[in-house]
Amino acid sequence: MRDVLREVDDIPVTLTVVIAYVTLAFVTGMFAGDEQFGERLAEFGWLVPMAVADGEPWRLLAHAFLHGGPLHLAFNLMTLWTIGPALERSLGSVRFAALYATAAIGGALAVCLIYDPRQPVVGGSGALFGMMGAAVAMNMRSGRHVFAFLDFEGPRRLLGTIAVNLVLGFAIPFVSNTAHIGGLVTGFAVTFLWLRAGTPSAALRQWRLATAALFVSVLAWSVWPVTRSDWLHRAAERAESAQQARSLLEAARRATPRDNRLELGRPGR
Amino acid sequence: MAPRSGVGTRLLNVGPLALVWAFAAWPIVLWLLHASDPELAVAVAQHTGAAAWFAAWSLALVGIVACLVFPPALAFVRRGTARMWTSLTMDQAPLVKALGELRHFETASRHAEVGRLFRLRRQHGQALLHFARAVELDPTIASAWHQFGLVLFAQHEWRAAATACANAEQLDPGHAFGDALLHHGRARFLLGDSGAVDVLREHARRHGGGPRSQLWLAEALVATGDPDGARTALQAAAAPPAVRLSAEENWFRALARVRLWGKGGSA
Repeated sequence: MRDVLREVDDIPVTLTVVIAYVTLAFVTGMFAGDEQFGERLAEFGWLVPMAVADGEPWRLLAHAFLHGGPLHLAFNLMTLWTIGPALERSLGSVRFAALYATAAIGGALAVCLIYDPRQPVVGGSGALFGMMGAAVAMNMRSGRHVFAFLDFEGPRRLLGTIAVNLVLGFAIPFVSNTAHIGGLVTGFAVTFLWLRAGTPSAALRQWRLATAALFVSVLAWSVWPVTRSDWLHRAAERAESAQQARSLLEAARRATPRDNRLELGRPGR
Repeated sequence: MAPRSGVGTRLLNVGPLALVWAFAAWPIVLWLLHASDPELAVAVAQHTGAAAWFAAWSLALVGIVACLVFPPALAFVRRGTARMWTSLTMDQAPLVKALGELRHFETASRHAEVGRLFRLRRQHGQALLHFARAVELDPTIASAWHQFGLVLFAQHEWRAAATACANAEQLDPGHAFGDALLHHGRARFLLGDSGAVDVLREHARRHGGGPRSQLWLAEALVATGDPDGARTALQAAAAPPAVRLSAEENWFRALARVRLWGKGGSA
């Protein structure tokens, strides 16, 4: 098993992700000016919380390899190429791949929890923010104390880059900063709590257990959000009895935001 | 001896972890409610969300008002922030180095140094073991007795703390700018010993008497039935300082000001 892991650890994950980004950009017709681009993004796995709750949880990860346009792709490729290789060399390919996947899912979970369930999201930026969070965590872990890294120019610039990107995320309306923050927090927590050498202390083990439980719990909640109107509507459609359907529809009505309720109530518009 | 810690420290240790577990368990609660009544689950989710927002804003508002109106609140926040900053920026290297040295050469001073570094990290259980060994190997090191006394004091072992601090003071009069003498006096007061007043007076006389010293002296004077002396000590503790006080000393000054209000005096 160890030999297999060593072999796998030689796979260049950053390069693989770059190839996946570019290949999927061509496959979805990003550069061809294809009218079906949107439909292909939907087909290949854009993240819509409603779809995740409707039995398509693979979208939580798949969306992190798709992009909404050439500029979006270029920015993410540039960021990945800047941070990825150094981080991959530090962590090893297997851990780096695990970090990318977990941060991407973490960003997606934040979207599922907070975002409009009908709004689609694509892009690897949640995972890329996770990598930046991981770099901060590694810096915090390697110093004499958790803030010792602030004495150095490089890590200070990294914090500046994160701050600027978050501000830009808030300023530009079509950017999902929710995914960015979710990815950042997940990447930081995974690296700070899990990706470290040595025997963990009792306190660290407790934190690992609690954060893992939280991650699994939120993941399960994204798939079965039993208090969200869209999930309740679908559940009502599948209900086995009329009474159960009525109860679920009433719950769905209660769960629908007030503004949406009025809009739905207007006939003919 | 089991290490003791204050309620605040225990809350800081357990609170965030408990919050993470609560968030992790919340969906399970909603799933169980949904299984019995979907409408109830929605109502609970909505009301809990609203209640959480209300509680968070209320807490923030209460905190701000408390800081503005009640002087110890601001001093308490300052002391908590200073302690947190100290613990977050604690250099790991000296402890690692000292432990490494201790593994090769066991001496009383090395045990005392390791104990001191553990005490700074508030790992009192570990610190106690090293101080006990240090004073066993060489009972003439005043700093080891003093630090041993401070750890025992933090563990509420008043009698042992008083003895350890008295030893430090005896070996090196005025040790650590009178800190050993001060803790000796305070430990004796907490034991109900009326002789504590003399020790604390002696400390105030020899070392100037900061807010903590004066406040502890005032408490000892109240216990011995000297309200006038206590008021004078409290006024000294609450007096505006000539230089900026440390977060810890500032906390004692804030407490003294509140006590003075109760006695109708002013600072």
